[in-house]
Amino acid sequence: MGEAAFDFYLHFFLLQPLIHAILKRVWTARTLERERIEANEALDSEAGAGTSKKSRPTSVNGNALKLSCELVRVFVTEAVQRAAAVAEAEGSTQIEPSHLEFILPQLLLDF
Amino acid sequence: MATDRVLCGSSSEIERGEEQEEQQQEHDSEAKLLHDRFRLSAISIAESEASKNGMEISKVLVSCIADLAYKFTEGLAKDLQLFAQHANRKCVNMEDVILSAHRNEHVSSYLRTFSNDLKARDPSSERKRKKEAKKNDKATI
Repeated sequence: MGEAAFDFYLHFFLLQPLIHAILKRVWTARTLERERIEANEALDSEAGAGTSKKSRPTSVNGNALKLSCELVRVFVTEAVQRAAAVAEAEGSTQIEPSHLEFILPQLLLDF
Repeated sequence: MATDRVLCGSSSEIERGEEQEEQQQEHDSEAKLLHDRFRLSAISIAESEASKNGMEISKVLVSCIADLAYKFTEGLAKDLQLFAQHANRKCVNMEDVILSAHRNEHVSSYLRTFSNDLKARDPSSERKRKKEAKKNDKATI
């Protein structure tokens, strides 16, 4: 199996459930937080008589999940490749944290 | 008032407090597990990229990049939710992901190309396009 095919399977089968799990964690936490705030507001106002509607947390479309995995993979790839370029310019064959420090500001601005 | 609620805490509220603490601990151990599994994937990607350049990457650095990528993903989740909500949707779609990469032209155009490939490969979307094309034909007649 060629390296390109390996990368393809790597991110589709390994990353997808992980990224999905991380996305869901953030979304359910944010939805619960919003519900809590709305419930407190309803109690304070004393006008809200009915029970608060349990809003569905955000979900993700299949293709959007694949795209998100690709985005995360590109992030890691860019971090490594940019640091590798710095290491190469220095003449070393081992990529060190100091190489990452050099490119970190631009990396964070790009993503 | 908020203080009244705290002062007259009933036993059910105390029970709920304990339940919440248990849930929080479960939540934290799940987070740690997810973090570790994510780190393994990130390590795999980083090492494969380093070897493409014929270089090695230090273990410490790989761990750093993995943590960074995890935080990036959490930030991505927040952005995607905001964009979908802004469009009055509950479901995040590809346009939201492409929009989240707006800071870098190369990244967003790469994602757009990738998304066109995904759409082209998706057989169900082809059926939708054919249906829409038929509808449009009827309308123009």
